[in-house]
Amino acid sequence: MSAIIVDNVSKRFRIPHEKKTTVFQNVVGLIKRQFSYEEFCALKDVSFEVKKGEALGIIGRNGSGKSTLLKILARILYPDSGSVSLDGKVASFLQLGVGFQPELTARDNVYIYASILGVGRKQVDKMYDDIFDFAELRRFENMKLKNFSSGMNMRLAFATAFHAVPDTLLIDEVFAVGDQAFRRKCHDKMTQFKAESKTIVFVSHALDAVKELCQRSMLLHEGRIITMGDTEKVINDYLAMLQRGTKQ
Amino acid sequence: MWQYRELIRNLTVADLKNRYQNTFLGFFWSLLSPLLLAGILYFVFRNLWGREQDFAINILVAVMAWQFFATGSSSSLRAIVRNSGLVTRVYIPRQILVLSNVLTSLINSLFAFIALLPILLILLGHLPITVLLFPLVHVIYFSFMYGLGLLLSALYVYFRDVDQIWQVLVRALFFGSPIMYPLSIVPPDLLPYYLLNPITQLILIYRDVMVAGDLPSLYGIGIVAGFAIAAYLVGSFTFKKLERRFAEAI
Repeated sequence: MSAIIVDNVSKRFRIPHEKKTTVFQNVVGLIKRQFSYEEFCALKDVSFEVKKGEALGIIGRNGSGKSTLLKILARILYPDSGSVSLDGKVASFLQLGVGFQPELTARDNVYIYASILGVGRKQVDKMYDDIFDFAELRRFENMKLKNFSSGMNMRLAFATAFHAVPDTLLIDEVFAVGDQAFRRKCHDKMTQFKAESKTIVFVSHALDAVKELCQRSMLLHEGRIITMGDTEKVINDYLAMLQRGTKQ
Repeated sequence: MWQYRELIRNLTVADLKNRYQNTFLGFFWSLLSPLLLAGILYFVFRNLWGREQDFAINILVAVMAWQFFATGSSSSLRAIVRNSGLVTRVYIPRQILVLSNVLTSLINSLFAFIALLPILLILLGHLPITVLLFPLVHVIYFSFMYGLGLLLSALYVYFRDVDQIWQVLVRALFFGSPIMYPLSIVPPDLLPYYLLNPITQLILIYRDVMVAGDLPSLYGIGIVAGFAIAAYLVGSFTFKKLERRFAEAI
């Protein structure tokens, strides 16, 4: 049973030579016949499948297309060609605390953020205590978010996100926050998700975290899949590639 | 959209809360500010300019109707760009951002009209029964504003001049609608074109149902409904086309 099927996906970005954002510049461009933009291929014919309950790691150097791929899975970007299909409820954590409103209280923000992640009011009511206990922010539930420290902000975001449990999680490098104890808790939560056989796609530079979480991984380079398979082997390929890169 | 009703609600409420943040009177302002505006207008036109009572009342109604258009369209124009975080970092149907924005404007407009009712009651001595048609008219007005919001907000992502151009158009429409002057001063040979303006028709309809106690003209309703449907079709078509690259272009 595949939870994610990606078929021949390509994505090109247009990089205009001169950024035109006003009608005037575009009119001038029209008259001078300058529609010049370069195309940058971020992904080229990427195909793969992820089974239900599997955790897939995606690694690669900066600019290899990892985040683009994740954004396409999250339906934030549309592929230029190819197709993507995802099963069940998907939550993407490309950044935590999206839609947080600094002028509103922590309580309000939990409800807003949860509804962005597709969780209804009644469900939040049920998990409300859990969320604030997990975040260790019980005392601050009626405080405006603008008075939160960045650490408190992240903890609230994490706690809310972790309680909004979907079938599939798309996660981009969002882990290195909080103190040791909190990181431990997040780590346990991820392991629990895995045990509950949620489908996870995990993009990270932290190879240890990938090794621990994912049985299978994919190495991306310049928009193509170089290798895909057992995480151990893919990481070795990646390290070898990095070494070749530094020697040249 | 239905499965996102919770999100629409939350965004709208957050918008309203943000607007009256740090004020002592809070939500009360949404009633108070239209009341004060009505007071100023009435005072100026009745006492300073010595216009007759009817004219002053008509101005009150016209300004309340106009406010929804002017403030609603300029704020929904920025609905996508202002929420760039929600566009580039997470997936939600982007129409929601426009919808919740127009809903906020609608709620403000409803408060303004609610504040107007007791004023009308005092000035007229009674409220015409046709006031009951108000919700129907406002629903049509709302769908016009939603279609317009879709169009403007999508264009604004790619062309930031739309803001300035729209401000000019809004000003032109202000003087092109019978708000500060009576319909009778419009030259007769221009009148047929003048009456094609949906804002003009809306103002006439609100005056009919809220002051005169007349049923609105079918022609007027037809114009407004026609513009509402056209705005929705053009707006959602454009939005769908342009939405695909929102996250890249923003």
